[in-house]
Amino acid sequence: MISVEKLEKVYEDNGVPVHALHSIDLSIERGEFLAIAGPSGSGKTTLLNLIGALDIPTSGNIIFEQEMLQDLNKNALSSIRLNRIGFIFQAYNLIPVLTARENVEFKLMLLGVSENARKERSLQVLNELGIGDLADKRPNKMSGGQQQRVAIARAIVNNPPLVLADEPTANLDSVTAHALLDLMLKMNLEKNITFIFSSHDRQVLEHARRIVILKDGRLAEDNKKI
Amino acid sequence: MMILQIAWRNLWRNKRRSFIILTSIIVGVAATDWMDGLARGYTTQMLENQLGAHTAHLQIHAKGFNDNKTVQNFMRNSDSVMMAVKSKGQIKNYSRRIVTFGLLSSASNSSGISLVGIEPNQEQCVTTIHRNIVEGKYFTNTANEIVISRQMAKTLDVGLGDRLVAMASTQDGTVGSELFRITGIYQSPSLSFDKMYVYVPLQIMQQMLHVDDRIAEIAIIGKDIDSVEVMKKELSAKLGSTYEVLSYNDLLPSLVSQIELMNSLMYLFFVLIGTALIFGVINTFLMAVYERIREFGVLKSIGMKDVYLLIMIELEALLLGLIGSIIGTILGAGVVLIVGKVGLNLAIFSKGLTAFGSGAILYPRFDWFSIGIGAVIIIMICLLAAIYPARRAMKLQPMQAIMYV
Repeated sequence: MISVEKLEKVYEDNGVPVHALHSIDLSIERGEFLAIAGPSGSGKTTLLNLIGALDIPTSGNIIFEQEMLQDLNKNALSSIRLNRIGFIFQAYNLIPVLTARENVEFKLMLLGVSENARKERSLQVLNELGIGDLADKRPNKMSGGQQQRVAIARAIVNNPPLVLADEPTANLDSVTAHALLDLMLKMNLEKNITFIFSSHDRQVLEHARRIVILKDGRLAEDNKKI
Repeated sequence: MMILQIAWRNLWRNKRRSFIILTSIIVGVAATDWMDGLARGYTTQMLENQLGAHTAHLQIHAKGFNDNKTVQNFMRNSDSVMMAVKSKGQIKNYSRRIVTFGLLSSASNSSGISLVGIEPNQEQCVTTIHRNIVEGKYFTNTANEIVISRQMAKTLDVGLGDRLVAMASTQDGTVGSELFRITGIYQSPSLSFDKMYVYVPLQIMQQMLHVDDRIAEIAIIGKDIDSVEVMKKELSAKLGSTYEVLSYNDLLPSLVSQIELMNSLMYLFFVLIGTALIFGVINTFLMAVYERIREFGVLKSIGMKDVYLLIMIELEALLLGLIGSIIGTILGAGVVLIVGKVGLNLAIFSKGLTAFGSGAILYPRFDWFSIGIGAVIIIMICLLAAIYPARRAMKLQPMQAIMYV
């Protein structure tokens, strides 16, 4: 599904080049439940962002479902993110002026789904995640766990083949985190959605079926289980 | 529709900021409407007062009279001219006159004047002197009546019923004179006009100047002031080169220039207001965009294309401009309409205003086109002002934006 070849990413920090990733080679199959682990600054988020076409590599290739991401223009990358990738962020990043249902609907609106169809689908997904009663509430009226469920709903509403989650449980208590991880695992098993997490949370690593460890921007280990 | 919904809600995320910029738009629009109404009223009053006092829309003279206003240059065969005038459908009214320079004397004083011989019944269909009578009557068909201004009465130290002697050069080069009795005193909005113009019956003046039935001019009021130049062309073509047909633009060049200057200054005023507004709106939207950079990053990450981002921000600007324009227009136009009915008493500036001929009470004028254009321009300004902040948002890489602190 995803093939990463000799991936490099160099940032500029006040004019000083920072080598975030060094020649990463990685292959990810459809239906994997994979965690990218490593200490802070190891390049986890950078790798996730590059796979998700949120950033541009300095060199190397990322092939996503037979498409070379670096050959695509801005609009094509937007299209891939919209149609084939779901994102779950550490800080939830819901749109504050929209209700829970509208936050989920927004993605369907961008996909050109009709108003009635998207209202129905977004409510269905919220109900599946156990927060259908929060449909008309705005994010500032929800707990962290509830907001993260809405973020998950937004990420999976159009059944994308890939979901990228950057430290999704970092701001949650362990009970909520556990529940959310079980939810995502269930979706992985039922709908064959590939989940890639970046995390150093033990709970996430315990749920993952494959762990890739980065250290100083290099691939240190692959497929390690705790 | 959802993007419109988001734009509307985003507008009220920071209510205080939105109210401040909205207030500046409303005040800007209302101020331009008000200034436009005031300027329009001022220039229209100036023009109407001048045209109504004496000039009218058009005047017909014998060729050369306007450059040399002597008795020798009076019109001959005015009947043929009258026939041409009567045949033009766009003409509302006309009046025959004699106008010459002369001297008016009372027992105590004298003053140089423009002595105007009129047919009172026709003249009151063309000019407004009869409405400006403040003492006595306009003309009563009694012998040798004269109507002078209050200012002239003060200069000559006379009042109603007093006698005055008018003198002027005659056709044969001698000095003609006639004794008149004051039957009416007028006061026009223009002090400079009042200092000069004095009215007597046409026939008396023709006798005084030994000109038989000749006249100096025919003053014409058209049905529509906007078609005056067309009327002028048509009459000139019909009457030929023996006569000159002059519009108020030809007869009052300095007034017309003044009005054009006023209009130019108003455009400058609008440009200044527009410029101030554009920077205010740019600043507001820059702040709004910088506050939401992370949110824009999230929107891009879930697949929103840059064009939608641009549309969203421009919709916010459109809504702001629309609300501000509508409220500002209602406020500005409302004030113009109300004050236009009751008048704005600028008595403290009255000397200056009467010198310019507009009068101390100004009646602002309402013009749909100006007000509409003003509102549209403000909306366009808001849309333009939002482009730069929108482009800043569009240029960001999604990750750059999400990580923005």
